[in-house]
Amino acid sequence: MTQATTQTETKAEGFEPRIVAFVCNWCTYAGADLAGTSRLQYAPHVRIVKLPCTGRIDPLFILKAYEGGADAVLVSGCHPGDCHYTSGNYHARRRWTIFRRLLSLAGVEEGRLFFSWVSAAEGQKFADLINDVTAQVKAAGPFKHNPARRQAW
Amino acid sequence: MVANINEIQSAAAALLNEGKVKLVLGYRVRGNDRVPAFVTQADQVGCLAYDSACTQNLAAYLRKGEVRSRMPLAVVARPEVMRSLMLLTAESQIAEGQVTVLAVDEQGFHGVLDLAGTAKLLNEQYARIAPDSSLMEQLAKIEAMTPQERSAFWSEQFEPCTRCYACRAACPGCFCERCIVEMNTPQWISTAAESHGNFAWHMIRAFHQAGRCVECGACQDACPQGIPLMLLNHFIAREVEREFDARSGYDPQAEPVIGSWKQDDKQEYIR
Repeated sequence: MTQATTQTETKAEGFEPRIVAFVCNWCTYAGADLAGTSRLQYAPHVRIVKLPCTGRIDPLFILKAYEGGADAVLVSGCHPGDCHYTSGNYHARRRWTIFRRLLSLAGVEEGRLFFSWVSAAEGQKFADLINDVTAQVKAAGPFKHNPARRQAW
Repeated sequence: MVANINEIQSAAAALLNEGKVKLVLGYRVRGNDRVPAFVTQADQVGCLAYDSACTQNLAAYLRKGEVRSRMPLAVVARPEVMRSLMLLTAESQIAEGQVTVLAVDEQGFHGVLDLAGTAKLLNEQYARIAPDSSLMEQLAKIEAMTPQERSAFWSEQFEPCTRCYACRAACPGCFCERCIVEMNTPQWISTAAESHGNFAWHMIRAFHQAGRCVECGACQDACPQGIPLMLLNHFIAREVEREFDARSGYDPQAEPVIGSWKQDDKQEYIR
C-alpha cells in the first residue's frame, strides 16, 4: 500500500490544513455571512459546503471529504429548536452521535471531526470556531493515518 | 439434529393443509450444508430440518417478489430471526397475517405463532440474548488501540473485501430497492479495487444498521473473505443501546432509532 504523497504532507513544514465544513443554509451559513459582513478576520482554511439543512448532511458526505484528503471535517447547523424545518438538526444529531463513534472505532482520530451549532446571529462564534478548529488541526498536523483516504497509484 | 423436528414438520404440514399458508420457509440438509427449503406442498415437509448449523436468516427472503407473492407464509425462525421479523414489521415491510412463525431455538420447537405472539415470546423468553463474549473481548482490544493502530487494523480487515455485497444480500434489514452502492451520479462508494471504496462501504453498511441490526450473524457467515462484520455490528448495537436506550427487534411498533429524535438527546460533543 503506497501512502499518497499529498500536497499537505510535502508541506508539513508550514502545514496549511484543508478543512471541509458542511453547514446549513439558514443558521451557520448565515452566521458565516455575518462574520464576513462584520469584517471579522478568520482562518482561510475552511471550504464551506452549504446545504439546506443539517438533516441533509449524509454521513457519506463526511466520508467523501476524508476520501478526498480533508484534514478535518466540521459540521454545523442551527441550534436545537431553531431548525428552519423544525427537526432536521435533531435528526442529524442522532446520526452524528453514532457515526462519530463508528469513525472513531475505525481509526479516525480525535480532532478530525467537529460539530457545532452556530446561529445566524453568531458571526463572532463562527469566526472563533473556525480559528479554533484551524489551530487544533494545524497543531495535529496532516491527517496521515486517514483510513478513508483515496490512495495514490 | 435438534429433537422435535417431527413437530416442526407436522406443524408445517398442518399450516399448508389448512390453507393458512402457501409457503413454508425452512431449512434442509444438503451434504454438510444447511440450505433454505421452500415448501409449498404438505407432502414435502419431510425435507425440513433444523439444527444449530442453520444460521442463515430466512427473513432476508421476505423482500423477494417470488416469496412475497406466496404470502401468507410461514418461517422457521430462531430468536434472532424473530427479531428480524419484528424489525421488518416496525419498518412496514411485513404485516400481521402475512407471516406465521415456526418458533425454534436450540432447545427445540416452540409452536406456531403470529407476529404479536412472537413479540410476546421474544420479550418473555429472549429479552437478553447475550452477545458472544469473544466478540466483546475483541472489541475491547480494538478500542484500547491508538487511532493509528485501529486504522491499520481495519484496513487489514477490509483489504480482502471484493465488494460482492454478499453481506447485504444475506441481511433481512437491507431491503432498499436502490442501494447507495448502486448510485453513480455521484458515485458515493467507489467501485474501484481500492481501499477507500472498501472503507466507505463498510462504514456505511455498519451505520445503516444503527438501531436495526439484530446480530443474527448472517452477513459475517455469508462473507467469502471472512471479514469480521459482527465486530462492527455489535459495536453499533452497543452504542445505540448506550446512547438511545434502544434495542432492535423487540417491539414491532418501535420507531426507528435513526429517524426519530428526542429534544434531550445527548450532545456533549457539539460545541
